[in-house]
Amino acid sequence: MSGAAALHQVQMEPKEYKSEVSVVWCPGCGHHGILNGLYRALAEAGIDPTKLVNISGIGCSSRTPYFIKSYKMHTLHGRAGAVATGVQMARPDLAVVVTGGDGDGFAIGGGHMPHMARKNVNMTYVLFDNGIYGLTKGQYSPTSRPEMKGYTTPYGGPEDPMNPLMYMLTYGATYVAQAFAGKPKLCAELIKGALEHKGFAYVNIFSQCPSFNYLDTVEFYRDLVFEIPADHDPTDMTKAIALARRPNGKAPIGLLYTENKPTLDERVAEFVTRVGGGPDYDINKIINLSRP
Amino acid sequence: MAKKDLILRLGGEGGEGVISTGDFITSACAKAGLEVYTFKTFPAEVKGGYAMYQVRTSPDRIYNQGDTFDVLCAFNGEAFEVNKHLLKPGTAVVYDYPGGDFEPGELPEGVFGYAIPMTKTAKDMKSLRSKNMVALGALSAIFNISEESLKKVLTKKFQKKGEEILNFNLAAFDKGKELGLQHQKTDPWRVADPQGEKDVIIISGNEAVGMGALLGGLEFFAAYPITPATEVAKYVATHIPKLGGTLFQAEDEIASISMVVGGSYAGKRSMTSTSGPGLSLMSEMLGMASMSETPVMVVDVQRGGPATGLPTKHEQSDLFLAIHGTHGDAPRVVLSVEDVKDCIDMAVDALNIADELQVPVILLSDGSLAFSTQTVPAPKPENYTIVRRKEWDGQGTYQRYAMTEDLVSPMCAPGTPNGMHMATGLEHSESGAPKYSPDNHEMMQRKRFGKIKNVVNTYKPTEIDGEGEADLGIIAWGSTIGVVREAIGRLREEGYKVKGFYPKLMWPMPTEQYEAFAKTCKKILLPEVNFQGQLAHFVRAETTIRPISYTICGGFPFNPVQIVAKAKEVI
Repeated sequence: MSGAAALHQVQMEPKEYKSEVSVVWCPGCGHHGILNGLYRALAEAGIDPTKLVNISGIGCSSRTPYFIKSYKMHTLHGRAGAVATGVQMARPDLAVVVTGGDGDGFAIGGGHMPHMARKNVNMTYVLFDNGIYGLTKGQYSPTSRPEMKGYTTPYGGPEDPMNPLMYMLTYGATYVAQAFAGKPKLCAELIKGALEHKGFAYVNIFSQCPSFNYLDTVEFYRDLVFEIPADHDPTDMTKAIALARRPNGKAPIGLLYTENKPTLDERVAEFVTRVGGGPDYDINKIINLSRP
Repeated sequence: MAKKDLILRLGGEGGEGVISTGDFITSACAKAGLEVYTFKTFPAEVKGGYAMYQVRTSPDRIYNQGDTFDVLCAFNGEAFEVNKHLLKPGTAVVYDYPGGDFEPGELPEGVFGYAIPMTKTAKDMKSLRSKNMVALGALSAIFNISEESLKKVLTKKFQKKGEEILNFNLAAFDKGKELGLQHQKTDPWRVADPQGEKDVIIISGNEAVGMGALLGGLEFFAAYPITPATEVAKYVATHIPKLGGTLFQAEDEIASISMVVGGSYAGKRSMTSTSGPGLSLMSEMLGMASMSETPVMVVDVQRGGPATGLPTKHEQSDLFLAIHGTHGDAPRVVLSVEDVKDCIDMAVDALNIADELQVPVILLSDGSLAFSTQTVPAPKPENYTIVRRKEWDGQGTYQRYAMTEDLVSPMCAPGTPNGMHMATGLEHSESGAPKYSPDNHEMMQRKRFGKIKNVVNTYKPTEIDGEGEADLGIIAWGSTIGVVREAIGRLREEGYKVKGFYPKLMWPMPTEQYEAFAKTCKKILLPEVNFQGQLAHFVRAETTIRPISYTICGGFPFNPVQIVAKAKEVI
């Protein structure tokens, strides 16, 4: 969930969340659809842009903060999640949103992902999953299919792709959803849910890269995905895992799993209460402990 | 000059009470109003292995751990063997005999020996754990360690565990005392008489950095454990919740520095602590902090490198990394502490400079200071000034990287109306928008480097030890300064004309101060504990001075006697 001070604070139209910077992505890129979904989700969740911090690393999707009216940081490749954790832990009143890609999040930034999830850092992570490094003109990524011939894989990729949903579920993310850029309304709905969720919310969004990923086209994704049935119980981890494993080779879209548990900032704030801390505490009491 | 100090070394197996015995003696001496400077080495192993705790105490100020010990207390055979070569005529040794794990045989000529059956007495009392209390009682009796102070310290320590445990330990202490008194005192060594209680604290370098950070208004700390720096985070973790602040542990140092950059962007005074390997991992994000002009403070408690190196040993070998360790040209300020008092005061300075200039500030400490406990005047919070970052006044359109007279742009934390902006690692315009034009990159580099230039004038001037002309000037940094202070004192007593120059601001370098000092000295000696002569390298690069570089890197600090010998050789 976004910090309570940031959520349901304003009534703004989706287009009012657009910054003055024009969008630079290629025509036909799935990221346009995700961005529209983001604008709508922010409007529907009533996020105060002044209390919104949008953080990214490096990659095409990491340009997103430039296009959103908010406080923002464009950090280093792979570090968005860790920087965002710092912002959120320092200022739990803010709404913290990471926008980034599959390479940024799961390759170079893969060391941070498990810990944000298991610690239940209260933020929203929107991962634009296009199965390619687009900004560097088409190398295979952790979610590329092995048959992908890319810049550095002229004979096809030698690795199997990872499964981001399985990863997030097993590491303990408390909101796990998947969408497809071709369905901006679903993107908006799931991102809004993530913004309103208290804890680490992960939304994986398939996004076609018409410039470099010749395999994962719009048509491919349309054929790949299926909507999670309305009777799915998103508090049932076993069923969520069964969906994440792609029954019959099809990828689920919708909310797989959600759980309510204390966040990292709540648990750390408890220490202050436990020791009777606060702004009026006399620091001399701490110094005196070191007297012989 | 009559020797007023006493150096007592305790050696034994880790976990045998060597460290706690040292702590009791240290506290008791401090309680008795004496100055104390301790030096410890730990085995890299978790349990067992040789541990050493050395206490130097004097009524006068102490600057270092000393040359060697006057008195050795060997808790076991290994400690005796390891230190046997240092048993010079005039030294005294207390050892566990009979009933211990070794027979010392005949002591070297001129060494005063005191056999104390520590293990046997403890066994007779049906508690091996009281062995160190027996030793403590004996040492107190033989070497005049104030019994009154020791008993106060023991009472404070054991009272919380119940009357029975307290009384048992005091009884073991008294047994040891009796055993000590049975010996005819033959050696000259005694701790100075109590001087009356003083307004001091006794604290290690690592704890002192934590205390300084809290005095400096620290609000946010992301930590990752690493030897020998972890106690900084331990201290802050224990106390920062009392002040309403936040500390939590990251998954690695890349994460901890990233979190600190995030916390600082969000408006909080932020820091992390690490040692060399961690600083290596942080180097890319430190460049990001330079580029995005985000204030962060990093303490690097240096250890032996490279790679995993000598994790528990002392070295001053991270100067290159601290000053230049990142890609591109990235400004930062590097400070280096001399002693435990500096750890407190300069942690405040480092946080202040970071906020004032919006740069990463690296505070260098080292392995010998990390665990060294020293008596320090109790800090008075009201004596510390907290300088906070320049804030946007809310007027006009906010430009994160606005060009100002002092080249420092006002900051604006999230939540501030009309202040929304981008902080970025891309080269950018004044507004924060990406901008790669040649003129802009040159202008922004001049801004980022220009704003830190003046710190050489605003930070406290480098201390010069001595006046007038000298045959030899010694430049020293970090904990080597304390060793040089004592060496210079001895050289002067012998009639040599020697001066010292002790920089604490390592980068940017106060080159004019270096040059002015060097002009008064015929030769310059630069001792430092690393292989390449890292400060000597910077001195050659940035000034016209051509120092004689004197380096050691055996995992231990210099002793004054080494500096004295080298000085005589080069004069």
